[in-house]
Amino acid sequence: MDAVKIDIFSIVGQKDCTLPEDGDKVFNALQRVLKENKKVLISFKNVEKLTTAFLNNAIGKLYKEFDEEKIKQSLSVEEISDSGKVRLKRVVTNAKNYFKNPDKMRESIKEILGEDDGE
Amino acid sequence: MPSDKLSNIHNDLDGYNKLIRFYEEHKDDIFENIEIELTTWFDANLSAVLGAILDTIKNDGLNGIKFINIQNNIQTILQKNGFLSFYGYDKIHDTFNTTLQYKKLKPTDSRYFNQYLEDDLLNRKEFPNMSDVVHERISESIQEMFVNARMHSESEFIYTCGQFFPSEHRLNFTIVDSGIGFAKRIEKNLGQTISSSDAIRWAMIEGHTTKQGVSGGLGLAILKEFITLNKGKIQIVSGDAFYELSDNTEKIQKLNNYFDGSVISMTFKTDDNKTYKLASEAQENINDIF
Repeated sequence: MDAVKIDIFSIVGQKDCTLPEDGDKVFNALQRVLKENKKVLISFKNVEKLTTAFLNNAIGKLYKEFDEEKIKQSLSVEEISDSGKVRLKRVVTNAKNYFKNPDKMRESIKEILGEDDGE
Repeated sequence: MPSDKLSNIHNDLDGYNKLIRFYEEHKDDIFENIEIELTTWFDANLSAVLGAILDTIKNDGLNGIKFINIQNNIQTILQKNGFLSFYGYDKIHDTFNTTLQYKKLKPTDSRYFNQYLEDDLLNRKEFPNMSDVVHERISESIQEMFVNARMHSESEFIYTCGQFFPSEHRLNFTIVDSGIGFAKRIEKNLGQTISSSDAIRWAMIEGHTTKQGVSGGLGLAILKEFITLNKGKIQIVSGDAFYELSDNTEKIQKLNNYFDGSVISMTFKTDDNKTYKLASEAQENINDIF
């Protein structure tokens, strides 16, 4: 079977995809398709604004649940602007790092506090 | 009670110190009539900061707020940007179109905010030398910061305001919340006690987020990259810390008082026709996304 097409505009219901809760709606759809081991074509047609906050929830969160190779084999995108693509790439790279080490945030705060001690 | 004079308020450490001292002096008031004078200068984008402060010290209407003396030029601009409409003044039409309207928004008003940005900012003709990509980057930067305020602050309202300086090719835009601020957010979500200065330093680093179970921390990092290339400015106020990125230099200074909430103020250069390549665009093949 061909890839399942997930149309962001129709899920969110508007051209501005800025809110994390709207990202969650897209995540739910992607999660269902990936669980069925199907390929997904994510269409950004008619989407005008994209924030990293939206993309973190829509796509970044997939890296918590599915392994990188599976995501790489399953997902593709179309009709995304260049700046959207750049944002998405950064979101993906950041999500991979984040979910590899869930304690990283606490450790990073200790590092900031530690720098102060050394001054 | 004698009136409070807010005099010569600029977008700088001194301006924020004056505003936050005023906040500190009145935040515990009850059944007072607070009379305010605005003299010499008031940077119009700071209407967002003053609006947040006045709403807090108004204490759900238990205190009265009254402007008793506003210097003419300040009054005109604050009537044009709609700020003084909240305090009984008439709205004045902005003939030169240099103000970006003062808004007091609920976190659920994000769709309205997007529309306001598009109408007030993006569809203007005042930026002849600005490339489309810069336009888009400015809009995205503001969207990201609005969503951040909405996500992290627990604030009932978010206050925004902007101002153009056509001859200086400069646009200021300020977003304020009266929520819990950077340090308390870290303490609450990550269980670590941290100073406001360290909290801002931490938040400026790419990938640092207080969100649980979802990655983040890109909005400020991307903003910082863009502003550096655009030769603009970022100012952040939270708790007792004042952060500034200007001329490629970051500095953090301590404020004299403590502001419960956060201010993010962005200055964009509008005579910028660069085609932007940020770090990831220059270095990586962006078609290989996943």
